[in-house]
Amino acid sequence: MPPLLKIILRRLALGLLTMLVISVLVFAATQALPGDTATAILGKEATPERVKVLREQLGLDRPLLVQYVDWAGGILRGDAGDSLVGTGEPVNQLLGRRVMNTVALMLMAALIAIPPALVLGSLSGRFRDGLFDGAVSVGSLTFAALPTFVIGILLMLLFATQILHILPAVSRVEPTASVWSQMDLLWLPALTLALASAPFTVRMLRGSMIEVLESDYVQMARLKGAPERIVLQRHSLPNAIIPVIQVIALDLAWMAGGVVTVEYLFNYPGIGASLVNAVSNRDVPVVQAIVLLIATVYVVFNLTADILTILISPRLRTGLQ
Amino acid sequence: MSDQEGGSSFEVGKLWEIANSKRVTRRTVLKGAAAMGALAALGPIAAACGGSESDTAASPSATAPKKGGHIRSGINGGNTKDTLDGQVSYIDAGKKTEQIYEPLLGWTPDSKLELKLAESYEISADGIEYTVRLKPDLTFHDGKSVTADDVIYSYQRVLDPDTAALATNHLTALKPSGIKKLDDLTVRFTLEQPDMSFEEVLAYYGCCIVPVGFESPKGVEGAIGTGPWKVTSYFPGEQTEFVANRDYWGEGPYADKLTMIEFVDPTAKLNALLGGSVDHLAILDTSQVPTIESTPGYSILEAKTGGWDPFTMAMDLKPFDDVRVRQAFRLIVDRPQMIEQAHGGYSWVANDMWAVFDPGYPKDLPQRVQDLEQAKSLLKQAGYDNDLNVVLNCSTATGANDPAAAQVFKEQAKGAGVTVKVDKVDPNAYWNEGNYLSYPFAMTMWGTNSYLWLCRAALFPDGPYYETHWKDDEWEKLVLEAYKTVDDAKRNELVSQCQTIEYERGAYIQYQFHIMLDAHSDKLQGLVADNFGAEGATKSRFNLMYFV
Repeated sequence: MPPLLKIILRRLALGLLTMLVISVLVFAATQALPGDTATAILGKEATPERVKVLREQLGLDRPLLVQYVDWAGGILRGDAGDSLVGTGEPVNQLLGRRVMNTVALMLMAALIAIPPALVLGSLSGRFRDGLFDGAVSVGSLTFAALPTFVIGILLMLLFATQILHILPAVSRVEPTASVWSQMDLLWLPALTLALASAPFTVRMLRGSMIEVLESDYVQMARLKGAPERIVLQRHSLPNAIIPVIQVIALDLAWMAGGVVTVEYLFNYPGIGASLVNAVSNRDVPVVQAIVLLIATVYVVFNLTADILTILISPRLRTGLQ
Repeated sequence: MSDQEGGSSFEVGKLWEIANSKRVTRRTVLKGAAAMGALAALGPIAAACGGSESDTAASPSATAPKKGGHIRSGINGGNTKDTLDGQVSYIDAGKKTEQIYEPLLGWTPDSKLELKLAESYEISADGIEYTVRLKPDLTFHDGKSVTADDVIYSYQRVLDPDTAALATNHLTALKPSGIKKLDDLTVRFTLEQPDMSFEEVLAYYGCCIVPVGFESPKGVEGAIGTGPWKVTSYFPGEQTEFVANRDYWGEGPYADKLTMIEFVDPTAKLNALLGGSVDHLAILDTSQVPTIESTPGYSILEAKTGGWDPFTMAMDLKPFDDVRVRQAFRLIVDRPQMIEQAHGGYSWVANDMWAVFDPGYPKDLPQRVQDLEQAKSLLKQAGYDNDLNVVLNCSTATGANDPAAAQVFKEQAKGAGVTVKVDKVDPNAYWNEGNYLSYPFAMTMWGTNSYLWLCRAALFPDGPYYETHWKDDEWEKLVLEAYKTVDDAKRNELVSQCQTIEYERGAYIQYQFHIMLDAHSDKLQGLVADNFGAEGATKSRFNLMYFV
């Protein structure tokens, strides 16, 4: 079996184990919170009789182990169960749309963030301590320091409500149509996420670039008379980018996890707001489903980052043999 | 949309409106002064027409309501736990179900009973039989006629414990065998004992009339009622869409479509209004008032409601078993100050009596004010000399501003030598067994209620909301008599005496009633301020709204 494949399989197995542990932990944590779905639904109307009736209807009176095993069995069959609240919609259906919304937002934010970040990072590393580097540093440190929702509000004031009025202030996607046909609503939240995450990529690439440009092989390439463009593209960037791939993977996973403040601010129906809602309702099937989804994203993205790193780095590639 | 005459007409219009306003408050006087100042200082600089004014008086419309248009309303929500079952959904979800379903009677915006699906009703002299006659030619959304069979089915469903209906607690006087059909349009309810609050049961939104065979709807399937709007799509926590019921028996709807969009964040909701994504905003945050007032083309609707968030004292637990302590605590509160600090001024002062729109409300009792000397004196008589320590449990579960009110009470109590420890409880834990109903000193929330209705829920030991553990023999005699008294004048007199007893020695500290605010684009008119208040200033009467 090719060594790369062996690595992948081993990592996937570890990932599955991680998800199992997470599902148990989250289940336990949700149960440990005061109240349960029945009290959450009934609120002030929660007389002991009504709570008992509702608990029976929702299957919450069964022993915890039974509830967990029942749910886990469902997951293995691909059935995430039914939501405990509202109309009892199957979780797959309930989340399907919102997952798609979050994916769309994540992709748009990534497209806005990554290419400019790569350019800015490598150039400011190349021309360090110049005016360009200074400006980029100030900018990226500022945005890195600002909380995400502050960035969102600033962008909203700038582009939607106070200074210019060219972008919609609210990104409420029509639930009846596909999110991909309404991408123009996503500009502000996508920009917000991009500005919140890009600085780390820029800084990482800058530092990495500086280190690489001082290495022996780059000196060698320059001494050989290679044009600066080749030095940057073929010799420096592929090496400098390795740590940056990890950062980008983490950023994307963070975005996929549903950034709740951005969803609230722009009224965007993604999985972040769903998760908060489900936790406050103690809607265990929904909470579990979302958490597992996010865990899967982290595992897959990290695995992809590692594989890319191996493929890009010649040293690691030969080390496989 | 620019005004040809320029900015000065805006200021003049404001002065005119203030001069003619039925209610001249501190706010309107200050605005008048500002307007005068602005007029003097500014020349006729072009300003947008219309301007923003508080609609405290209903202004007559120049033209008859136009038909058509799509009303989009931004409401609080974002919670997926709503359903479209009109007999089970709570106040918040009720905004939606009240568009779809209706009860036999209803409430007017100034809290009087009115006929809805009923054409007429009679109460027998002994107060036991209620005979209700339906309006003829009423239909459900699916075209089926509304008959006595539907009324009977609806009430049987509410009485069925498996439905877990909202109204169950209020229907103690009615048994399933007490509902009889007299003819296709007439139903007779026979109560086990006389109970004058049954009139309000007939008006309760949770006792809406559904067709025979109605089951809890999954989504929009089966959500059939008689109301002005038919639901066409439903995404819990996100939005609900309706089309106008063109066969509606009552007024309107004038618009063709209605969409209710839910927001978790008040900023996002406001931006939706100002950005044109919605035409109406239910429940404006008090901090957002200046933004609306300074943006032309938008107005605020204010409603003085009877909703209240009081402090509760459990009178069977120390120290509140001593009436002097309860009276002292009521004297601790500087009511205007608490309203200003906790509610931003958006409440009106209460006098420790809550059924303020009841005909029997004792208007002539002196308004209670802060009196720390008297409070200290009462506490001393009760045996406390600057050494009384209490724990006050509060939560955002009762209202976003209530923890702030608790803090204000704590500060004010220092002046009477009372040390208060404020314990803020997680909203999901507040209503749990062992907490709410067991706290010696806590807070709670109520909407607008009539006296007899709420008593059953909160002031009797078998009521589900027996918060204050209230027990008073003199009061009990009077109130039980009131339930049985068919004659309106006599009953109101008894209720008045009951309320007076609570004024003197009750276990609530009630300092305020809510003022609800809605905001809307000036293109949308026909909004009517409603006393009810829980869902916003207009109580979601979308059938009356129209575009200009």
